[in-house]
Amino acid sequence: MMVQDKSLIKGLALNDIAVKGGKYVANWRAYKPEIDYEKCVACGLCISYCPEAAINQTDDKMPKIDYRFCKGCGICANECPQKAITMIQEDES
Amino acid sequence: MTQEFDVMPGNKAVAHGVRLARVEVVPVFPITPQTTIIEYISDFVADGKLDAEYIHSEGEHSCMAMAVGASMTGARTFTATCSQGLAYMHEVVAQATNYRTPLVMAIANRTLGWYWSLGPDYSDIMPEMNLGWLVNFVETNQECLDMTLMNYKIAEDYRVLLPTMMSLDGFYLSYSQERVYLPEIEMVDDWLPPYKAPYPVDPTVSKAWPSAMIPPALHTTYRKLHEDVMNDAKKVIAEVDKSYGEVFGRSYGGMVEKYRCEDADSLIVTMGSMTTAARRAVDKLRSEGEKIGLLKLRFMRPFPNEEIIELAEQVESIGVVDRVMMHGTGGGMAFQDIKGVLYNTEIKVPVQNFVTGLGGEDIPIDDLYVMGKKILKNKGRKLINEVEFVAHEFQAAAPPVEYEGDSCMHPGSDGCAGCGASIIARTLLDTLGENTVVINPPNCSGVNYGGVVKVPWVLGNFAAGAAYMTGVYRALRKKGKADKVYVTSYAGDGGTVDIGLQSISGAAERGESIIWLCYDNEAYMNTGIQRSGSTPLFSATSTTPVGSEWKGKPQRRKNMLMIMAAHRIPYIATASLSYLPDFKRKIKKAAEVTRAGEGLAYLHVHQPCTTGWYFDPAKTVEIGRLAVQSGAWPIMEIDHGVPKINVKPRELKPVKEYLAPQRRFRHVTDEQLEIIQGYINNDWDSYLRLEKDGKLPWY
Ligand SMILES: Cc1ncc(C[n+]2csc(CCOP(=O)(O)OP(=O)(O)O)c2C)c(N)n1
Ligand code: SF4
Ligand code: SF4
Repeated sequence: MMVQDKSLIKGLALNDIAVKGGKYVANWRAYKPEIDYEKCVACGLCISYCPEAAINQTDDKMPKIDYRFCKGCGICANECPQKAITMIQEDES
Repeated sequence: MTQEFDVMPGNKAVAHGVRLARVEVVPVFPITPQTTIIEYISDFVADGKLDAEYIHSEGEHSCMAMAVGASMTGARTFTATCSQGLAYMHEVVAQATNYRTPLVMAIANRTLGWYWSLGPDYSDIMPEMNLGWLVNFVETNQECLDMTLMNYKIAEDYRVLLPTMMSLDGFYLSYSQERVYLPEIEMVDDWLPPYKAPYPVDPTVSKAWPSAMIPPALHTTYRKLHEDVMNDAKKVIAEVDKSYGEVFGRSYGGMVEKYRCEDADSLIVTMGSMTTAARRAVDKLRSEGEKIGLLKLRFMRPFPNEEIIELAEQVESIGVVDRVMMHGTGGGMAFQDIKGVLYNTEIKVPVQNFVTGLGGEDIPIDDLYVMGKKILKNKGRKLINEVEFVAHEFQAAAPPVEYEGDSCMHPGSDGCAGCGASIIARTLLDTLGENTVVINPPNCSGVNYGGVVKVPWVLGNFAAGAAYMTGVYRALRKKGKADKVYVTSYAGDGGTVDIGLQSISGAAERGESIIWLCYDNEAYMNTGIQRSGSTPLFSATSTTPVGSEWKGKPQRRKNMLMIMAAHRIPYIATASLSYLPDFKRKIKKAAEVTRAGEGLAYLHVHQPCTTGWYFDPAKTVEIGRLAVQSGAWPIMEIDHGVPKINVKPRELKPVKEYLAPQRRFRHVTDEQLEIIQGYINNDWDSYLRLEKDGKLPWY
């Protein structure tokens, strides 16, 4: 990430990988993926394929979507071999 | 006289100018915010509205060379670029002058990186200013069209015969809509007859041609003559402006335009689109009783010395607004020029400079009003602050959001929903780990993912990705760290198969132990889907549109696998985001080979692009799979010369299944489909044969 006011050198703008954090994109979404944990077999495909890295593996190997980073592209639902993920239309509100 | 009008962006007005001038040769290369000029022109050509040789160049250096070659050979020629593209042309831009090529180049201004921005300032055109071209700046979309036509008339006049750059401010003109009157083409034909080169490089017409080689003893003489020609051009510019006005009803004042200058005691000097806002600021000051006028510099080369001296004699204070900084001189471009003009005269008038609007920041009326006030205050005073930088407060975007997770990429990005380039980047970086340096030639991923990675991700120039990598790798090697840090590219297909190829070839032949990763979305996506050397046959792109004359890209794509194999590098592989375990294995192999110092490892990964190929974002991975299963994208490797097909479907699916969901192929006829299928079958058979034959004989 680009940082200001940290550089020791006058007039040198810096990128700093120590600045950590994701980008909030939940407002991009028209459809929201929902995982049916009854059907999920924890294969991890959705985790590998989510372009936003919005799906994490929990301690019991189950995928968990961090909706703050999900754009609702639908790849996870399309790729899930168990059809455990459904895309649900977001409220208009 | 009635003329049709239409509401259109400046870039389209330029394209109409090109159409009306019946330009014969148009070499192109995309760059924002110029690209839509060449896209509109490609639409005209595809639909038979302009009969021109349209050339998809592989980079701007070539693009300009094509333009010079065509113009030297007697064709009316047009091209357009800006920013990095103009800088990359530089050498050939200089050459265009003495070959006396009256081509017209539109510059849809954009800041020249070191600090990158898509927005306009004149840092791109500033280094080209003194190469002997005519350089003019336009203010409105109508002026874009009119000046395109006038520039040909001026440039092709035998008293001038010089190339011309027309600068229109990116975004402010290139993309904003205004009413534009379109002259009738027959009238233009009468006014602008076909170009006839005096000494074309065509032995059937002329035995003499322009020379680039003259003895040093003649240089000063010829430079003086060139300066005389540029001075003579001023007369031609005035004549053309007048005659255009007589025929088409619009003229602009030639070298400069004076606005409310009659009784002015103070003067604000502007150029380009900021002038419109400056007019309003002047109006406001006038309504308050101030006698301020405005001078719009239309031509910067030749420079309007006479007009400036005349006004400087009249006024008591001058302020110059510059959208560019001439570093090391303390001020802006027009400012230095104007000061230079006045120095050896008797005139003693304070000239103040305002440097503002850099990186494309808006120059609002309010700012110009304040500048006007300051100019008025300078009357009869000694200047205290000769150059003022007018900057605005920085509004930071949303702060980063905390999260849990340990991938080499942060979650969330600016990329399109469903973008495959992100999946490939994350797989690459997570496999290589954090001791990796990424060199990123400009592309979609740089814009969208460069800011969300946890490794150094360095923007390198488009044509020089592998050269940046070589520098980084050699420095690491010298410091004994070649086996501790990976150096990889994250390059698109444009940055690989077109403009970047020479640099990759050099690195491969020298045996640099670096990883070249190309994610291939089969077009220039970042600039809006223009064809590349990797765009497949018959694909529609914004520069290979479908029209009455064109049916998508007529050429087949380059076979990079074989190009790299000809370099005898240790490891070459294609991969797909739909086969991640295979891809990961290949990344590891590339890491191994480079760590061992064996030479360059080349990975070429197929990336379905929802936006550029027009399919449902949910299908990114599915389409990638279909490409592999149909043989449209064979997954292979050449390991130390031994070819192997890594994914071998028992039977290839018909390619139709892969093409059908993509709208870029929707025009494809049965006949075209058969041709595509034929090539695929043929390639597949060739690869099977190569695999059977074992190690490539030249390794
Ligand atoms: C010398 C130069 N010319 C043109 C550009 C404009 N430009 C930026 S990205 C890009 C296209 C990149 O295409 P590709 O490499 O295929 O990557 P993609 O965006 O498709 O992922 C272009 C033409 C530039 N930055 N530098
Ligand atoms: S919908 Fe797309 S962005 Fe959201 S979790 Fe699924 S794959 Fe990720
Ligand atoms: S245009 Fe294509 S490559 Fe670029 S961000 Fe969008 S999906 Fe990704």
